[in-house]
Amino acid sequence: MNRLAQLRLVYLVLFLVLVVRLMHLQLVRGVHYRRLADQNRLRVVPEEAPRGLILDRRGTILASNQTIFRLAVVPQDVADLPLVLGHVSTLVHRPVDALTRELKKARSFSFLPATIVSRVPKELAIQVEEERWRFPGLMVKPETARHYPLGATAANLLGYLNQPTPEELPLLKQYGIHPKRLVGRQGVEQLLDHALQGKAGGLVVEVNHRARQIRTVGRRAPQAGATVVLTIDAQLQSLIEEAFGAQPGAAVVLDPQTGEVLAMVSLPSFAPEAFVAPDSALVSQYLRDERSPLVNRAVYSAYQPGSIMKIVTAAAALEHRIITPKTSIVCSGAMRIGDRDFHCWNRDGHGPMTLSEALMQSCNVYFMTIARRLGLEPLRRAQETIGFSHTTGWPLSEDPGHLPRRRLSEGEIALLSIGQGEILATPLQAALMAAVFANGGWLVEPWVVKTVADRPVGKRTPRRKMPWSPATIEAVRAGMRAVVADQYGTAHRAVSERITIAGKTGTAQTHVAGRTHAWFVGFCPVDQPRAALAVLAEFGGSGGDLPAEITKSICEYLSLAPL
Amino acid sequence: MRLSLRASSFDWPLWAAAAGLALVSAITMASAAKTVNPVLAVRHDVWIVIGIGLSVAMARTNYRQWSALAWIAYGLSLFALGLVEIAGAVRLGATRWLSIFGLSVQPSELAKLTTMWLLARYLAGQPTPLPPRVVWGSLLLVAPPALLILAQPDLGSASIFGAIWLGMVWAAGMPRKMLAGFSAGLAVILPLGWRHMHGYQRDRLMAFIDPHADPLGAGYTIIQSTIAIGSGGLWGKGWFAGTQNQLSFLPERHSDFIFSVIGEEWGWLGCVAVIALFGLLLLRALRIAASSAAPHGRLLAVGVFSWLAYQAFVNMGMVMGVLPVVGVPLPLVSYGGSSMVMIWIALGLLQSIHRQER
Repeated sequence: MNRLAQLRLVYLVLFLVLVVRLMHLQLVRGVHYRRLADQNRLRVVPEEAPRGLILDRRGTILASNQTIFRLAVVPQDVADLPLVLGHVSTLVHRPVDALTRELKKARSFSFLPATIVSRVPKELAIQVEEERWRFPGLMVKPETARHYPLGATAANLLGYLNQPTPEELPLLKQYGIHPKRLVGRQGVEQLLDHALQGKAGGLVVEVNHRARQIRTVGRRAPQAGATVVLTIDAQLQSLIEEAFGAQPGAAVVLDPQTGEVLAMVSLPSFAPEAFVAPDSALVSQYLRDERSPLVNRAVYSAYQPGSIMKIVTAAAALEHRIITPKTSIVCSGAMRIGDRDFHCWNRDGHGPMTLSEALMQSCNVYFMTIARRLGLEPLRRAQETIGFSHTTGWPLSEDPGHLPRRRLSEGEIALLSIGQGEILATPLQAALMAAVFANGGWLVEPWVVKTVADRPVGKRTPRRKMPWSPATIEAVRAGMRAVVADQYGTAHRAVSERITIAGKTGTAQTHVAGRTHAWFVGFCPVDQPRAALAVLAEFGGSGGDLPAEITKSICEYLSLAPL
Repeated sequence: MRLSLRASSFDWPLWAAAAGLALVSAITMASAAKTVNPVLAVRHDVWIVIGIGLSVAMARTNYRQWSALAWIAYGLSLFALGLVEIAGAVRLGATRWLSIFGLSVQPSELAKLTTMWLLARYLAGQPTPLPPRVVWGSLLLVAPPALLILAQPDLGSASIFGAIWLGMVWAAGMPRKMLAGFSAGLAVILPLGWRHMHGYQRDRLMAFIDPHADPLGAGYTIIQSTIAIGSGGLWGKGWFAGTQNQLSFLPERHSDFIFSVIGEEWGWLGCVAVIALFGLLLLRALRIAASSAAPHGRLLAVGVFSWLAYQAFVNMGMVMGVLPVVGVPLPLVSYGGSSMVMIWIALGLLQSIHRQER
């Protein structure tokens, strides 16, 4: 082979190497590189879906969306950043440094607006828009924000939205949630977060090497979240909250037949919109407040039930034939158990009384006496069967309350029968207990969501029939009627000309000596009860005072309002 | 021998291959220059026309009549290269251009042709096999322009001088033992060269070994180029439809990385077509060399062959990640007036040799 042929061979081989390499790049790995090229050029810009509305049972809006105005900067359009920031700084009275920090935090793609002021009044937004031509890159970004028209009303039940925590992010991404999306917390916002949030849409945008937008490739429209209708009656809810005034406490009103919750009050409440801004002063105030406005007392705070527990003690004693409705027991003002005296609240003694009278006057000695004869197990079983120390089926987190599991002394059994000592119950449990006597012996399951996107989700059958005879229930009901109707009843203040009310007061001792929680549980109207309720005033004195008055308001409202 | 100007006296396949490459170049440049500067595409076409004109003119002359000027042209080239060192324009961190009457001229392109010309004249009269003395002498001729270009710094262009020299002395009859010796010497010198390399040259070499070590820095170009070519697949994305090209992910897409644009927009078929056109062009060049009776013409043709073959291989090799990135344009295709004109002149020279030496 001559030298030119050798030269030819060398380059022939080299060129062949190139062809082979091309085959590998383009034919074997072509799809892979195609994907890399697409990753280079395509960016997905999420578009949030409007969050679903929350309505009460009559269609009153409890949570909606409103347009708010943000000031944002589109980095790729800015000609003179210091000019723009200086202008914004004088408009909103915030230092340029702070705005620069906001911009740095919010900046993503240079073609996407980065929010530097999270909320400005409408007038200011209009002013910025009018002068916009002077400050290229500055824009008003209208955005929807969660709005709660009734403010703090039912806030604990509705919940609120805020930023996901760093720990939640990886979990949320799995569900396709954009990190900037707010997450429902507490209440219905949390319970139905998924249905309310809808389906985010998005733009697929083609960008160049500097990440500047060249064109829009495609768009998927966002789907609005589902409308949620609650069983709550907003008017009733407001009415109860107003009746409480500044008094901390809780109240639950529910339909004793179905278990649907008509009102659930927890006070003090909070303004849920405060949580939309990431670091609001109001939020930190809520977190510091020792009255814990963020805790839904109706389901998450357990209190000593006190005398409202006597209706259970009575039913258990009747059922075990310890007493009959006619059995008379003498109250001398105190009774001795072991080496200790247990007093009745009436130190002079109530004298001889029947069950109905004992309930009406809330005589401790009567119930402590029958509890001694009844014994621990039957009493505890009755309390447990009616729901104490167990969760109620409430769809959100709740406190199960507490019953003692250990063996109790004679004195402790006596205390348990009048709702004192080692026993705790939530207002919701108390309302469900009242419902049992209202509906003739059914322990119902509470629910609060009527429909999601027009599909009913509630509708349940009574969960459990209490093992009590109709006669037993009727005997206790007679006593509960007397509590309000009789002029000597502990809650005679609740008596109304418009509607019949039955119930039981409770005045529970607390860890603070001399101060008591005030309870009222009951139902109305007495004959065909439409509502069972529990009202608790924290350190509110006597159950016959404020709770009885609030109950009267509730029942009178219900006498007028069709449900 | 009578000077014939009949059409049949040209090597038409050579013209056809070059014209084919020019056509591919013009078409691709329109797309590649769109986002760089659309004017460049027009300017590029003008250079192609000028190049073809000069090429035809050169083809009509007798190449031997230029031999007397070889030393002068060589000296002028060295002078121009020296001038670049002193007064050249700095672009992309290297001094490679000289501004003459508002025109940027790259003297290294001129030097390739003039050096191979002088080399052909020097080697043509020597006996075969070449005495070692002549081999060393030829190396001395190549060294000055190569070293001046290396100092610009332009390692890629400097290495072209090595390829031209090697092709020519091999064809002229360099003893095999000497080739072995030079190879061994190169193997020793290269690692030492690492210490004298510029920072960016080392980065490029490291990026060649592992582009993903610095994907946004030294490795960026090669990664984006590989993506561009690979994403073209079999058929390519179509004219003006290459996203790597049109969205500017591909740097230097109109000059050194034009082949990546061909790969992205015309796919594997387009790439192979370009390689085939180069193959045809180079085979015709070697054929002209082989059929030339005069050693001078033969060596000159081998010089042009080695130049174009090596430069095309190095350019295509680097854009597809087979070779490290050195700034070498693709002959007849990349943007650049000096290179375009010089190569067309060299092709005219080949035609002249073909006509003279049949």
